[in-house]
Amino acid sequence: MNNIWGDMAQYDPVTWNWVIAVYLFMAGLSAGSVLIGIGMRWYSKGGNIETSILKASAIIGPVAISLGLACLVFDLTKPFHFWLILVNYNFTSVMAIGVLALLAYSPLGIAYALIVLRDDLPKWKLGLLAPIGHMLLPMRKVIEILLFVLAIGVGAYTGFLISAMNAYPMLNTAVLPALFLASGLSAGAAGNLIVALTCFNSSPHDNDVAKMHSLDLPVIVSEMMFLVMLFSTLYFTGGAAAEALASLSTDIWASVFWIGVVGIGFIVPILSMFLPANARHTKAIMISVACCSLTGVLALRHFIIYAGQGYIS
Amino acid sequence: MSKRYVMVHDENKCIGCQACNIACRSENEVPEGVTRLQVRVEGPFGEAPNLHFKYHRVSCQQCEDAPCVSVCPTGAAYIDENGLVSIHNDKCVGCMYCVAACPYKVRFMNPITKAADKCNFCKDTRLARGEQPACVTACPTDALYFGDANDSKSEVAQLLNTKITYQDKTHLGTKPRVYRVPTKRGGIES
Repeated sequence: MNNIWGDMAQYDPVTWNWVIAVYLFMAGLSAGSVLIGIGMRWYSKGGNIETSILKASAIIGPVAISLGLACLVFDLTKPFHFWLILVNYNFTSVMAIGVLALLAYSPLGIAYALIVLRDDLPKWKLGLLAPIGHMLLPMRKVIEILLFVLAIGVGAYTGFLISAMNAYPMLNTAVLPALFLASGLSAGAAGNLIVALTCFNSSPHDNDVAKMHSLDLPVIVSEMMFLVMLFSTLYFTGGAAAEALASLSTDIWASVFWIGVVGIGFIVPILSMFLPANARHTKAIMISVACCSLTGVLALRHFIIYAGQGYIS
Repeated sequence: MSKRYVMVHDENKCIGCQACNIACRSENEVPEGVTRLQVRVEGPFGEAPNLHFKYHRVSCQQCEDAPCVSVCPTGAAYIDENGLVSIHNDKCVGCMYCVAACPYKVRFMNPITKAADKCNFCKDTRLARGEQPACVTACPTDALYFGDANDSKSEVAQLLNTKITYQDKTHLGTKPRVYRVPTKRGGIES
């Protein structure tokens, strides 16, 4: 039956779509990759020897955030007016704070990439940029610390961005920024591994690769814990919040969650840890498992965006 | 004293004819396919022959604590000097954060201006000329009341003092300024 009050299309509660989910994924990947790259450099007191993991993170950091920002800009209804968001700030808005963070994070990520890759640039016919890398070298420590702090900010910011909307019970939870930061680390480790193994001829037996690999289990376990916290908060809140639990059993997003997030993102990487050592440490297995982790994180962002907006209080 | 514009929708008087909807579209040049105002007809409730419908106005609630204003990154969504939630079209980039954040889902992207749009109580047109909003004037059953609730002599202030009213989704802390007189035959559901 037709209604008499007109078109209902604009009332669809799902306002933000997959483009935003991809942006959230890219921001998490970039931040996680940078956090792991720099964190491991500090942990192993690397000096000026650039490990393949650090090189991988120096590439993924700026590239992923640029792709994510491209998604964001072209999702605007006025993409060519995006500069308005750079000159007008409303500091009660998480998005405005995020814009400021990204405005510092993106150029610093590029500067850091030039420093880390200064000796590789000539190989890629980008020798022109190598002097800038050498010039920035004395400021490495400052740039590194700032970039690390901003990466924590960017990783968590995407969670704060959507948790600020109190009409959506699944999004409006304190655990979301932590969940996004943890899953960003998962994606960052996987991305670093793939780039290090394929582009920088790193071997699966490298000390660094093994060390990064040992992060996988604690990160996956914390992600699982955050998800349990998220859903139990909804359950205990009751009312409209408890209704959002239906997202785990109905609709396509339940499949995305159980198959994509849990099956591909958590169970496959955990099972791979039980493979015999010689199989586990082949390039092919490592890259396949890393691709599973990335798929899981991408699925998580989609689940949160779509299922999260699907239930309104 | 500052103004506190409110609207009261008497759901007993409403017949769901959508005259308000059409008047709004015409006054504010709202493009096809989008709308600032709808009256949803719910029901029928009860048993034949004693059936009745409920009428629910869906439009900007002019929240005193508006989520759309606090999430807007550029300040395009703002509260004007009379407390009305308004939009600077030229500051809006179209990120749709406000559309997503509005608990009432009454903001939309205007396909012509590409900026966020919604009811503003006709503040640039009829209100500026000292007239009532188009929906209030067009209503054939006088189900809509509009005025300054801070003026104790106004019709809306007296109505709010004497009638039982409810607002939508008050649990979210938005302090909506669209009040509803519940239909006597139906229960209150918001």
